[in-house]
Amino acid sequence: MKTKQPVVFSIGWNACIKCGACVAVCPHPAGFITAFDTIAVNEPCDIACMHCEAICPVSTITHHQFVVPVNES
Amino acid sequence: MPNNNPEYIMPQYDIVIVGSGPAGATTARFAAEKGLSVLLVDKKQELGSPIQCSGAVSFNALEQAGVQLSDEFVLEAIYGFGIYNEKGEKKTVDYRKIKPDEYGSGEGLKPLGFVVDRRRFDRYLMTQAERAGATVWLKAEASGFSSLADGSCEIRLTKFNEPITVKAKLMVAADGVQSQAAKWAGLQTHIKLSELASCLQFVVDGVETEGLLEIITGHQWAPGGYAWVFPKGHGYAEIGLGVTRSMCEENAQTYLDHFIKQSFFKERFKNCRILEIQGGGVPLAAPLKVQYADNLILAGDAARHVNSITGGGIHTALHSGKIAGEFVAELILSGRPCSANNVKEYQDRWLEAMGNTMWKLYRTKKKIFDTKNITQRDEMLYETMSGYFSADSVYKKI
Repeated sequence: MKTKQPVVFSIGWNACIKCGACVAVCPHPAGFITAFDTIAVNEPCDIACMHCEAICPVSTITHHQFVVPVNES
Repeated sequence: MPNNNPEYIMPQYDIVIVGSGPAGATTARFAAEKGLSVLLVDKKQELGSPIQCSGAVSFNALEQAGVQLSDEFVLEAIYGFGIYNEKGEKKTVDYRKIKPDEYGSGEGLKPLGFVVDRRRFDRYLMTQAERAGATVWLKAEASGFSSLADGSCEIRLTKFNEPITVKAKLMVAADGVQSQAAKWAGLQTHIKLSELASCLQFVVDGVETEGLLEIITGHQWAPGGYAWVFPKGHGYAEIGLGVTRSMCEENAQTYLDHFIKQSFFKERFKNCRILEIQGGGVPLAAPLKVQYADNLILAGDAARHVNSITGGGIHTALHSGKIAGEFVAELILSGRPCSANNVKEYQDRWLEAMGNTMWKLYRTKKKIFDTKNITQRDEMLYETMSGYFSADSVYKKI
């Protein structure tokens, strides 16, 4: 049973130093990644462990709760 | 555009290496020298960039991997270490003093190691691979991998927006700490939060150094890691640190700021001017237990070939690249298929040459960071670091 709500991450690109640590610590299977070597930002994360936010040396990853679009529920 | 030409022949190589860092390019060089057809791909336009590494590597590591020295990548020669405890007390291990007839900058003397520019170093290693006969594609991003029924495999790539599928006998995943390639084969490569050091460093002007790698231990400066001051050539220095996030409340940036402004080095750093900002995730983790699958082996950071006491990964990447390149050449030239059973020997050779020692280092590191009492932990780390870099260290060659 899932206990965590899916989230969508945002990255403050101004502070991001493209270090790749968020991807290295991410337990997702391959592909949860942007072209800039960060964790994905345009799709919901249903693991929601928040390790990517914690590892970020400059704390530039944030998240909001994923809201399931009405027509897909 | 997908190629619909019926005459189109799919590109075919003995091996495809994903990622042209020290591990990938060294694998490519050794495999090509032994006569394999090698394709080395990297998605970047400029290797080594953005820099995620402090760039320290021993002379021994370069010699062992057959890397010729070049002004192209050497920023500054290193002759030893300065290890500090949390109060700023220092142990100096300067090989110019310990072995003055062997180490130094004079004629007939050699340095202990170097701080390299990773942009130039990675480019140099790629060039050496190309000169040995490997084909290199930049701006070529791998996006998928499948083993095929005939015992070979295919690697799906996009190169300057063009999709290309390449057939090979084996793929080497050398795509770094954020490895995706190994995940395609179902290998679990992500690193635990408690075992990935969150690192940040500044290249600075206005900080004096004296040919030593300076390592500053102590929970108050860098919990679950250490801070460093390295010479960076041209009169510059590198100030950085790595922290274990599960052991602290603040991020690496806050600790680095604290270290620069509040530590026993605050006078030394007071005029420093930041020239570059770099960061990275450094696995202070156990090496992967399984570093192979059908038609696949892993090398370098992707296999977590990182020294978990020092966080150093260049030596271990070069060494695993050499082992990988030589092994793959032997296997493929023998005509045997690259099944998981057959490629397992790569991991066995790696364990024998380096891996068993890396496991030992990992257990030492774990024992230190699992110690709850901070004073005791600080002492253990300082003792271990001082011992590690001492002239009679058992780990000198790792």
